[in-house]
Amino acid sequence: MDPLGVSLWIIRLAFLAALYGFLYLVLRALWRDLRANLRGVDRPLGRLRVVASPDGTPPEGSVFALDAINTLGRDVNNTVVVDDGFASGRHAVLTFRGRAWYLEDLGSTNGTWLNGERVVSPMLLGWSDEVQVGRVRLRLDRPDLPPATQ
Amino acid sequence: MTGLAETADRRGPRFRRREALLLGGVAGAITCGWVSLASTVAGQPSMGDPLLLLAFLGMLGAAHAVLSLAGSRSDEVLLPVAGLLMGLSLLMMVRLPQGLVVQDFGPLELGLAPLQLIWIGVSLTAATVVAVALRSDLWLRSYKYTWAAAGIALLLLVFAFGEETNGARLTLRVGPVAGQPSELLKILLVVFLAGYLADNRALLAGRATRLGPLRLPPLPYLLPMLAMWGIALAIVVVQRDLGAALLFYAVFVVLLWVATQRLGDLAMGVLLFVVGAVVLYAFFPHVRGRVEIWLDPFATAQGAGFQIVRGLYALGRGGVLGTGLGAGLPGVDGHLSIPAVHTDFVFDALAEELGLAGALVILALYVVLAQRGLRIASAARDDFRALLAAGATLVVVVQAAIIVAGDARLIPLTGITLPFVSYGGSSLLANGIVLGLLLSLGDTRLAAPPPPQAIGRRERLRDAAGAVAGRAERVIS
Repeated sequence: MDPLGVSLWIIRLAFLAALYGFLYLVLRALWRDLRANLRGVDRPLGRLRVVASPDGTPPEGSVFALDAINTLGRDVNNTVVVDDGFASGRHAVLTFRGRAWYLEDLGSTNGTWLNGERVVSPMLLGWSDEVQVGRVRLRLDRPDLPPATQ
Repeated sequence: MTGLAETADRRGPRFRRREALLLGGVAGAITCGWVSLASTVAGQPSMGDPLLLLAFLGMLGAAHAVLSLAGSRSDEVLLPVAGLLMGLSLLMMVRLPQGLVVQDFGPLELGLAPLQLIWIGVSLTAATVVAVALRSDLWLRSYKYTWAAAGIALLLLVFAFGEETNGARLTLRVGPVAGQPSELLKILLVVFLAGYLADNRALLAGRATRLGPLRLPPLPYLLPMLAMWGIALAIVVVQRDLGAALLFYAVFVVLLWVATQRLGDLAMGVLLFVVGAVVLYAFFPHVRGRVEIWLDPFATAQGAGFQIVRGLYALGRGGVLGTGLGAGLPGVDGHLSIPAVHTDFVFDALAEELGLAGALVILALYVVLAQRGLRIASAARDDFRALLAAGATLVVVVQAAIIVAGDARLIPLTGITLPFVSYGGSSLLANGIVLGLLLSLGDTRLAAPPPPQAIGRRERLRDAAGAVAGRAERVIS
């Protein structure tokens, strides 16, 4: 076979291979979208990270995944159990309504604090604001965005 | 605070990384094809004249840049997929004899490939403009009856003044510009159907009228559907445009099914189709002729069946890996082996030169378009957008399915273009607009839909009348 025929043949197959290469890239993109969507179902709305905890329960640096309604307090049936001597049984509630987070005090003995300010009526809070329940301080963090959602 | 920062950020330019990557893939593949074609034609390794190729890649890059700069948040797979189809189209148009279509622009005489490149540019421009500029769909949904009226007017214009090409009356000529309005008609149809079905979904799904054993939607809501069926029949009878009629009717039935979620509607649509098809077959010779060619093209291989037979030979010559670009038979010595190879039979030409492997890639691209479009529909924020996105997707994919099946003799051949691939300005422009619509509907920054109207139209009219009366009373007192 002459070299020209062979090279034409190679270029031809390279073209077909390139078409399939493109198809592979597209299918990979679709697959990633599918995975990201699946992961989005059980993705939490936000996270509470324990910044300071003098008694060590919950331990500093631990993270709570948040739902739409989260109760904080000493009772074991709270979403976020804050076992601190200065926390009440049912201390505060953190809710996600519409597109924003709200913090509400449930009539606790020692009060709930948002960025050092006492929570009297429900207060709006944003990412990386600090909530204090008893002597435990917790920071509201973004939920981890799954990589390559876009 | 964070909310504000987010909205400010959402308006700025945003690099569409995945789109850039995929467009890189398109550029690589089309360049490879270009080298393959030029080398085969020249008989030695060569680049040919890369001007058209560079212009095409520039257009794709420009569309990508505009979308990125406008900060579009829409799907990033649609543009590259359509881009690859357009690239394959350009390769085929460069490869076919340039004298197939010639148009004069003053001293400039353009052949097939430059013309197709211009239309690709127009199509990409339309897609980008619609994707970037369509920020609210209010004017689409509020004027649905205007769109329907415009569509019917367009149809009547073609009925009255249309010119016949290949036995079908579908070309409308205004001065030097000739176009096929059925391509634009399909967009109007989808917009109207989306608006109408979204408004009357509940009523259509309800079954109030009883007709013997059948339970039908209330009569006033049944009429538009019968009208739709009648229009499809009229297109076949008057315009002899079987492809457009089949496309319109199929899209209508599927959208109806999507809106009412009743399998019975789909079954009834198919039943009406069968009835219509039998009646048309019995009474109209051009329909009967198409079916007979389909059943046995070799009986009239030198006459009516010539086109199909040549198409089948081309598919056979291609084999699994194809003859290679430029080495196939469509038009070696100046005259075409398949009539209409640049429009209706472009799939056969591509399948001959790229083989089964390449043909499967083309089909897969349409499947990907369907997936992306339906994904946009399922993520849409209200019924109108969901139906519009689904309809826009269907119109492209069903059209591709109809013509590919016709080319391969799976169904009777109906003359219609292969979206993004066939030669033709109307087709490319219309499909560009559809692509833009999908991109725009997939954009998360599109204005929020108006709140759904819980009260019916009659109550709303009464309320309006009451408000006017109240104002009049106040003026009098």
